[in-house]
Amino acid sequence: MSALFRRRANFVFRLVLLAVAVAGAGVLGGLMIYARVPAGNRQFEEVVQPVQFDHRHHVADDAIDCRYCHQGVERGASAGIPSTALCMNCHAQIWNKSPKLEPVRESYFTGKPIPWVRVHQVPDFVYFNHAIHVNKGVGCETCHGRVDKMGAVYQFAPLTMGWCIDCHRDPAPNLRPQEAITAMGWTPDRPGLGQELHEKYKVHSRTSCTTCHR
Amino acid sequence: MKLPIYGQSTDGREHWRSLSEREQRRAHPSEFPAGAAEAPEGFSRRGFLQVLGASVALAGLEACRPPRDTIHPYVRSPEREVVPGAALHYATAAEWGAEAVGLLVTTYEGRPTKVEGNPDHPASLGASGTFEQALLLDLYDPRRLQGFVRGGQPLAFRSTLRALSDLAASHRGDGGARLRFLVRESGSPLLADLRRRIQARYPRATFHVHESLSSDEVREGTRIAFGRPMEPRLRLEGARVILALDHDFLGLGAERLRLAREYAARRTPGPGAEMNRLYAAEAHLSTTGAVADHRIRMRSSEVLSFARAVAHRLAEKHGLAALAGCGQKPAVRIREAEAVADDLARVGAEALVTAGPRQPAAVHAVAAAVNAALGSAGRTVEYRPAPPGPTGPASLRALADAVGAGQVDTLVVTARNPVYAAPADVGLGELLARVPNSLYLALREDETSQRCSFVLAASHPFESWGDARAADGQVTICQPLLSPLFESISEVELLASFLDEGDRGGHRVLQDLWRSRSAAPDFDVRWERWLARGLVPDTAVAPEVPAVRAGEVAAAARSAPAPREGLEASFVADPKLLDGRFAENAWMQELPDPITKMTWDNAALLSPATAKRLGLESGQRVELRLRGRKVEAPLWIAPGHADDTVTLPLGYGRTVAGPTGTHVGFDAGRLRAAEAPWIDGGLALAPVGRRKHAFACTQEHFSMEGRDLALTFDRGDLAGEKHRLDELRGPLPSLLGQVDYQGQMKWGMAIDLTRCIGCSACTIACQAENNIPVVGKEQVARSREMHWIRVDRYFSGDPENPEVVAQPLACVQCERAPCEYVCPVNATVHSDEGLNEMIYNRCVGTRYCSNNCPYKVRRFNFFEYHRPKSATEKMLMNPDVTVRSRGVMEKCTYCVQRIERHRIAARIAGQEIRDGQIQTACQQACPSQAIRFGNLNDPGAQVTAWHGDERRYDLLHELGTRPRTAYLVRVRNPNPELAHG
Amino acid sequence: MAETATQVERLDPLDPIPVLAGRPGDREVNDQLFLPVWQQTRRGWLALFAITSSLAGLLVLAISYTVATGIGVWGNNIPVGWAFDIINFVWWIGIGHAGTLISAILLLFQQRWRTSINRFAEAMTLFAVMQALIFPALHTGRPWFDFWLFPYPSTLGLWPNFKSPLMWDVFAVNTYFLVSLMFWYVGLLPDLAALRDTSKKRGARIAYGIFALGWRGSARHWRHYRIAYLLLAGISTPLVLSVHSVVSFDFAVSLLPGWHTTIFPPYFVAGAIFSGFAMVLTLVIPARKVFGFEGVITAKHLENMAKVMLATGLMVSYGYAVEHFNAWYSGDHFESFLFFHTRQAGPYAPVYWLMIFCNVVVPNVFWWKKARQSIWALWIASILVNVGMWTERFVIIVISLHRDFLPSSWAMYYPTLVDWSIYVGTLGMFGTLFLLFLRFVPSVSASEVKELRRELDHEAHARAAH
Repeated sequence: MSALFRRRANFVFRLVLLAVAVAGAGVLGGLMIYARVPAGNRQFEEVVQPVQFDHRHHVADDAIDCRYCHQGVERGASAGIPSTALCMNCHAQIWNKSPKLEPVRESYFTGKPIPWVRVHQVPDFVYFNHAIHVNKGVGCETCHGRVDKMGAVYQFAPLTMGWCIDCHRDPAPNLRPQEAITAMGWTPDRPGLGQELHEKYKVHSRTSCTTCHR
Repeated sequence: MKLPIYGQSTDGREHWRSLSEREQRRAHPSEFPAGAAEAPEGFSRRGFLQVLGASVALAGLEACRPPRDTIHPYVRSPEREVVPGAALHYATAAEWGAEAVGLLVTTYEGRPTKVEGNPDHPASLGASGTFEQALLLDLYDPRRLQGFVRGGQPLAFRSTLRALSDLAASHRGDGGARLRFLVRESGSPLLADLRRRIQARYPRATFHVHESLSSDEVREGTRIAFGRPMEPRLRLEGARVILALDHDFLGLGAERLRLAREYAARRTPGPGAEMNRLYAAEAHLSTTGAVADHRIRMRSSEVLSFARAVAHRLAEKHGLAALAGCGQKPAVRIREAEAVADDLARVGAEALVTAGPRQPAAVHAVAAAVNAALGSAGRTVEYRPAPPGPTGPASLRALADAVGAGQVDTLVVTARNPVYAAPADVGLGELLARVPNSLYLALREDETSQRCSFVLAASHPFESWGDARAADGQVTICQPLLSPLFESISEVELLASFLDEGDRGGHRVLQDLWRSRSAAPDFDVRWERWLARGLVPDTAVAPEVPAVRAGEVAAAARSAPAPREGLEASFVADPKLLDGRFAENAWMQELPDPITKMTWDNAALLSPATAKRLGLESGQRVELRLRGRKVEAPLWIAPGHADDTVTLPLGYGRTVAGPTGTHVGFDAGRLRAAEAPWIDGGLALAPVGRRKHAFACTQEHFSMEGRDLALTFDRGDLAGEKHRLDELRGPLPSLLGQVDYQGQMKWGMAIDLTRCIGCSACTIACQAENNIPVVGKEQVARSREMHWIRVDRYFSGDPENPEVVAQPLACVQCERAPCEYVCPVNATVHSDEGLNEMIYNRCVGTRYCSNNCPYKVRRFNFFEYHRPKSATEKMLMNPDVTVRSRGVMEKCTYCVQRIERHRIAARIAGQEIRDGQIQTACQQACPSQAIRFGNLNDPGAQVTAWHGDERRYDLLHELGTRPRTAYLVRVRNPNPELAHG
Repeated sequence: MAETATQVERLDPLDPIPVLAGRPGDREVNDQLFLPVWQQTRRGWLALFAITSSLAGLLVLAISYTVATGIGVWGNNIPVGWAFDIINFVWWIGIGHAGTLISAILLLFQQRWRTSINRFAEAMTLFAVMQALIFPALHTGRPWFDFWLFPYPSTLGLWPNFKSPLMWDVFAVNTYFLVSLMFWYVGLLPDLAALRDTSKKRGARIAYGIFALGWRGSARHWRHYRIAYLLLAGISTPLVLSVHSVVSFDFAVSLLPGWHTTIFPPYFVAGAIFSGFAMVLTLVIPARKVFGFEGVITAKHLENMAKVMLATGLMVSYGYAVEHFNAWYSGDHFESFLFFHTRQAGPYAPVYWLMIFCNVVVPNVFWWKKARQSIWALWIASILVNVGMWTERFVIIVISLHRDFLPSSWAMYYPTLVDWSIYVGTLGMFGTLFLLFLRFVPSVSASEVKELRRELDHEAHARAAH
């Protein structure tokens, strides 16, 4: 009887097998890569805010210290978003007619808060505490990047658990002196400074799970 | 956000006042109490958004790529102390009848999340009971009344005030002859002052006071003994021998926290320290009876004769002639009566005889006489003048008669649900319909609100200004912790509106009163201090030692009416719902009864012998008949219950109590008669149907099966049992290497079973602190309750009168934890400090850890127990603790969130964590200080001392789990003359 | 045909009952064994299929309901954290063992009587393991995170806990499934080819052709086939012992009375084979009747299986004995309380006594040849043993959990409707797969039967030569 399959059939069949194998591996590998690239971590996504607040201007040009607005950062778990009243401290005088600032004035007079969009979002079961990090010599820049160069703020660090743990295992390289905590573009002036600060500030970065998950 | 207004910061030292709150009051016309201006629409629009936005950890575990949140910062930030995520504590007080318990409430961004006791307050001393804790759940109950309804028509706040003053004005003509008030009993000076002023304006108006757990009998008894009603206040620190005549002073009352502390303080055995000895004469096993060294079972109606027997012995043998009159030679329990009397006489002035409010006046009179004769009056019990007038069924009866006679046009009710609480034969419910204007101030819809024409939503105590008095007279200013969540009016404002001051707001009315009283130039500064400390200095009332009128006492004792014949019905306040005021509180409903471990239910309790005699068994449904009234109830055979008497817990069978409380259990109140509200005779039981009633109990086996679990020794035997204890502690041989915890924190806990009274305050405190869900009766029946710390209850010995021991048990944080090595995903692991951590977000829910946990202290979310939550319920969640989702295992972690909070604070300040600085929720609440927690590496730490105690042992020590929680043996101090029982 | 059979008997006095009745030619064998595949679908088959597939549908329903609402819909609670989920898992895995044993070990020992039942057994193994695999995946509280049990480099910087027996399970069971699958499939190749060549319809020929992987029966093919088959046999032999040992670690490694014992691995393996053979009998007996395979699956096969069941059944009984002895000998209060009070007198005592009857008493009927040769006795006994082995897992898991160390935490477990639906559902799913197998694949390996016949011929000639 006539051959059921042509010679090519074998080749095709092997090809199909190969394709299936590759596809399977590809899907898994792809997912793992996706979890590690900015696209997956929401890194560098410029976030549009209700008010076009420009950190470049406020930080770089006006040289306003981070802590002027983010007042909780040294005392509380969250750095805190400034109240409308705080904005108006300056903007009652300057740019008080600017249409860009209309939402701020509206908020101030109606008492409705400005709905800022969260940029750095960790899951609710992660208990990150700004105060302890800032007080132990971890600068704003270390996790938030060169905010003074950001028109619209974006997430600079991957914020994956692996990333947190890396630093908790070896914090020294990421430490800086208190006076430079909010400085942008700061670099250690000498090698081994990290280690010194590690001793000086009695840094005791723990890796027990309940350090962050409770 | 305007509130919080006053308070002290976390460390409890810094006192401050809000600037913005001042502005606020300037900004707003003084119509609302400061902050309340926000209430109606402001809450939903602003307050809540801010709260939500500012607090990070409300939602559950869902973490995979949500849409970006929005953050809603303050528009004008409040005082600088409010740091998002940082807790503040505010002093206030909760009233129980006329007496107050001082509280310290934790708030986050103006959101109360946890109630603690105020260490400075005489009635709390830092402890807090189940009821105080549970107030918080009521505050956030989405089923609270909102707004004001008159004749079915909703009214706005202003028009309500107008309506009220019009109503008031209409009674000016006849001096308020047809105006009556039914108010709850309260020690508040402000309410008293308002009442005085209303009386002045309406001389002929009448005030009726009602408290369903009234002290009328106490006051009548003291009146008989002293000639005027007095309020006895027990002082246990000086008491060596205590006789409690049907008095559950450790389980009920505003003073129970202090008394538990004082009682436990004298329970430490050992050289030098003399243990006190407690005799409890009672019918059903109460919290007090369970810890007593000798529990003398008797029907409630026999207590009087027992008291007289004791008096008789004291008069005869110990020459206390004053008692000759009221004494009487006993027919039964001669041995017990004599032994007790001898013991009382032995310690003389350091003895104490106290009677419970359920007992008739004669018993209180005799008790007072005995105390006076022993010389203990003024030492172990002190007396203060009590407010006149009845507060119990009598006062309701008076009102009912007036209404019945058609003498009432306007009735203002601020008493707690009188229609339900009133004895059946008063028939208040029907009568209310005849009152043209019946005003009712209520937190929730209930049996009374349904019968009133004008219902006003009450502000929760935590939302309103007021003041309250402790038993010793000390005053606490109650400050609101947040602006009212719903449109509502406070009791003070309601009464004030009858003086046309309703629109001035509680804050002003209150301040004016105290300004006038203090008359100090620097009043404002003092006011701050009062609020911050939670006490107004120099307000205590001096105790008196009035003379006893032996003749009257003797007469009363003799002429006391004999109990009615037949099976005795004994009505008691339920240990969880009391008179039903907590029926809508899911925490209290699901809290296991301290003795029966029953949840979401009540039952008619009777002794095994009686059940046998009547041919009845547990779970059987019976019809109870008393004085022609009847109600159906399930039976529960209670070990240790007195024979020929049936205990009927009140507070259940509510008909209008929302989804939580409606038709839970049976309403024993439907059997009560006004003339015998507590103890009655002639009860009849008739079985109904075959079907067994399905109880939901958290514990089904009360025998230890001969295992060394909750150890109890008699004081004398302690030394002899050392070798046995040594087998239950100390190192065991092991192939595994030792982990060295030196040079860091080594968290440990110790629980003293001698001090523990089994009150379950720890359970509720833990529930509040750790966002533990309520699962409902059906789930509890499936043995899926979620309490992290449970109080195991074991009976031993004669089932008719067993020995009882309570053993609080949470995760013991094994150093060699069986749960850890079996978890396939490392969701439960050991911390460097020896904590057995549970990582909810990593858990996949194989339940292997629970299977392998010998203590079975792990709890599993079989369903999404936290959904759905209303906006207000979310506000209750502790932002420091993850809200666990479905399919996740959870358990106690020694309140690790508190540890981390203090660690961070300490490390920022560059200090060490001091011993006692970190308290777990259970430890902080525990009234008898039975729980200690701390660093075992600190040789000076309190917990270390207990770990080294001679009474220390480890639970299931032989398994080699090396638990970090150690137990201290329970030691009884029995009277040698009365061998066991 | 009849007298050829008697010939054989004469030729082999030691072996009165033949492993193959008569000397059918290749064509006969094909016709007979492929008949179920070629003939029209039968009414009976359709009826059975309707039942089983609807039960399978129930399974799908129950599972979706569980995943949607949470495993609270089961009866599990604290302290009984595991119940039907793990009982069924262990039960199904155990049943799976007969297949591998027959195919691999009996092959290595060159047991002739395996040839005509090995495919039954392998197929059964495969489908049983499929049912078993459902449960580890489903029993977790959050099944969508099950992938955390697999070791993969995650951005959390975390790995699974390799100390956990559940971890070992994941590997053991999956390996077992894959190897069984390959073993079964490789064994199937020659017959698939035969089906391809004998089938009338082109569609069928193409379908079977693809699955036959271009098998042409050349000497080279046969050589490779032999090697592959032998290798797989070698690989899966240790699995027979390892898989259920690992499963037993889930319990043995814990510290619970009734779980924490060293006898578990051997006693679980014995039990597994016990139940496995029981299940094979339960399925083979009706099948051979329906398809008239009495010629190839002779009384001999059934008798041998009965003997295996007797042997393994005795091992299981020994396991029970040792458990109780240890409990007494240890002098441990908790152990003795479980083994001498809770089990016999506790609330679940009936289950315990049922287990004793089915697993300890029943197999002993096979001491008698009559019982071994009576179809009905075999069939009923095999079913009882299946029941018994299920109750054994109930005893081990639920009874041990519901009353452990602290009486305060003791509680009862009651299965819910969903529990039952899932259990019955897996039976349905299993049946469905098995019916499909009977319908579309030769359920007895034609190639091996032919092979067997040739071997027998050689022997016959050899004898004749003398």
